[in-house]
Amino acid sequence: MRSAGTYISGIGHVGLVGWLILGWGFSSDPLPFEVSQVSVVSSEEFAAMVAATTPQPDVADPTAPAQPQIEDAPAPIEPETVPQVAPSPDPVAQPAQETPPPEAPQPPVPPADVADVAPVEPTPPAIEAAPDLNDSSRPQPRPAPRVAPEAVAPPPPEADVADVVQDAVVPDDSAAAEVVEPAQTPTAPEEAVTEIVTEDAAPSGAVTTSARPQTRPNRPTPATPTETTAPADTATANNNAADDAAVAAALAAALAVTAPDLPAGPPLDGSEKEGFRVAVNRCWNVDPGSEAARVTMTVAFSLDQSGRVQGDVRQVSADGGTSGSQSIAFQAARRAILRCGAAGYDLPADKYDQWRDVEITFDPSGMRLR
Amino acid sequence: MMKTFLIAIVALVLAGPVLAQNGPLRLTITDGVIEPLPFAVPSFEPENAEAAQVAADMTRLVAQDLSGTGLFREIPATAFISAHSSFVQTVAYPDWRAINAQALITGAVTVSGNQLVVKFRLYDVFSGSEMGGGLQFAGTVDGWRRMAHKVADAAYGRITGEGGYFDSRVVFVSENGPKDNRQKRLALMDFDGANVQFLTDSSALVLAPRFSPTGDRVLYTSFASGFPRINVLDVSSVGTRQLQTAEGEMAFSPRFSRDGSQVIYSLANGGNTDIYRGDIASGASTRLTSAPSIETAPSLSPDGSQIVFESDRSGTQQMYIMSANGGDARRISFGDGRYATPVWSPRGDLIAFTKQNAGRFHIGVMRTDGSEERLLTSSFLDEGPTWSPNGRVIMFMRETQGAGGTSSLYSVDVSGRNLKPVPLPNGASDPSWGPLQP
Repeated sequence: MRSAGTYISGIGHVGLVGWLILGWGFSSDPLPFEVSQVSVVSSEEFAAMVAATTPQPDVADPTAPAQPQIEDAPAPIEPETVPQVAPSPDPVAQPAQETPPPEAPQPPVPPADVADVAPVEPTPPAIEAAPDLNDSSRPQPRPAPRVAPEAVAPPPPEADVADVVQDAVVPDDSAAAEVVEPAQTPTAPEEAVTEIVTEDAAPSGAVTTSARPQTRPNRPTPATPTETTAPADTATANNNAADDAAVAAALAAALAVTAPDLPAGPPLDGSEKEGFRVAVNRCWNVDPGSEAARVTMTVAFSLDQSGRVQGDVRQVSADGGTSGSQSIAFQAARRAILRCGAAGYDLPADKYDQWRDVEITFDPSGMRLR
Repeated sequence: MMKTFLIAIVALVLAGPVLAQNGPLRLTITDGVIEPLPFAVPSFEPENAEAAQVAADMTRLVAQDLSGTGLFREIPATAFISAHSSFVQTVAYPDWRAINAQALITGAVTVSGNQLVVKFRLYDVFSGSEMGGGLQFAGTVDGWRRMAHKVADAAYGRITGEGGYFDSRVVFVSENGPKDNRQKRLALMDFDGANVQFLTDSSALVLAPRFSPTGDRVLYTSFASGFPRINVLDVSSVGTRQLQTAEGEMAFSPRFSRDGSQVIYSLANGGNTDIYRGDIASGASTRLTSAPSIETAPSLSPDGSQIVFESDRSGTQQMYIMSANGGDARRISFGDGRYATPVWSPRGDLIAFTKQNAGRFHIGVMRTDGSEERLLTSSFLDEGPTWSPNGRVIMFMRETQGAGGTSSLYSVDVSGRNLKPVPLPNGASDPSWGPLQP
């Protein structure tokens, strides 16, 4: 026997097929669409528009390093006594010829005397010792509590772990000679609790406060008739309170990692990273014939929220080449970062925390002469 | 249970973006740009009236040296925002950044009688700091070109991390007259073609001069006796001395050993040509090859332990490497055509050569194991490469086609860029680049 549902389903399907075949309900009118006015601009106009919104480099750069004062410059050193050119010996007598060569060679002019006088290098400033870092305030990991049928108090620190509790016995020289007890180490069972205490339910010592704005005050609770709560409901309420506390702790821990006033946002997407990469590599000048082209250099630097380099560019690692060529490779990398970032890199401000610290590896292996 | 699960979900969702960062933003850049580095060199400050002209001349020469490498591009003075008129003036970095100058060279010149002092400083504009300390050179007024070259060498070295080559000289064969009656003389010039001085007259044919490692002597092949003989010429006195060879032997293609006390050369005797090593002082010689084929054009490695040479032992001219004491040789060239005149780079990593293939001549380089062969030039006739002291530039001879064809010297960067002629009044061939002058 067929059910009513079968008939309803059949009718419905037949109706749907018929509706699709006959096209009822379809309108021949095209769907409305939004029209936007588009104007074509030339690259010059676009550049002008961009320039108008691009922060101009600060001419009076307050962060410019101190200029080398002439007082710091090595004092010009009187040239050392220039060695006099030894008188050129007489040219070797040429073999006699019937007709003297029209162009007798003359001793070439000796190279001019040049003495380079290296100035005294200024004494580098003493490097201050790095201040001692404070101990981390992060809590130490706790040993997992042992679960046992009966709770056991923490044993004395000097006690060994054993099933049987026994006191320490210390040989007493003043005791009677006939009663001598052998020395023994105190023992006690290992500390144990009767249930596993999860970290989220127990105070962990981790960050418990957040600089996030406080939540809004609770709405006034409307007066409710007092009800008599059964003892069983009290236990449930206690569990709910513990869960709420755990949720609050988890939220706080998750949010406390973020700097308070810096927009974190999601990670940079592929196009944003590519744009940044292109912005740097167009200023990375590689000399493929140099030894520096054999160095893979990784540098790090920080950016402020306007995309400008803060502080200096630091070398993280270098692979290949000599120390001299590594130094040149680092200078080329630093020059690229500073030059193309003079006006600030175009990075999404709402993701500042994602690009505040940058590490770039310059790998010229693909440009090397082969 | 459900509450705990929700707690975990909420915590993960909120902490997700933070966890995803995981340290600094990391990028890898593999493709930069290859372009000359823009630099500015305001006219050196003359510290007295006598120094005005030489200060201007030295400034031009420093700029010309650096620009001539192809690695630097001078920013014209008309683009300067900051008029850096004094050596002691504080550098206005923003003004130089604004015109995209990446390096700034300032200098001052003093002339006192015949004495000339030039001092200079080099600045990294975008980092706003000086590159190295100030440096000064003292010499005679007539040596102003050398001092300008030294300033350029110092700037080049600080920017590129490699030694320069501007204060160096080249010995070559100066050629004059038509092909069928061409007069050849040994001559000396600065690396840029200036200060040409002749070392021999045109009474005898001379070929293949080679500088000593210290630049004080020149080995060359002379046909004064009708047979090729190797001569040693003292550059300062132009005095010559012929190396001893037996009667009927033809010695040619000489080169100094690294310490300058010995010479390796080719000797043809009885229809066979082999490579020998000879002591210049005693005349004692040692035969290094003994194959029945033609072995010639030896060139020592920078450490003096190996010799690269050309040989037709395989049936065609190819390049081989053997120990400096002789023995077995391994072939390093396997491409089409013929390979000749190999020269070991001062850096030790490359060998320059002349290649003839399909009716064209090329100057090329390859690694010492024969890999990564690159042809840098191509023409009707290119041959005789010689390395700059820093192993960055190759100079060679190029001859044009036809009865009226002339030979001249060209230089090219080891990257194959910046091919250009060396300006000389006459024809020239067989260049040999000397060391940096002290």
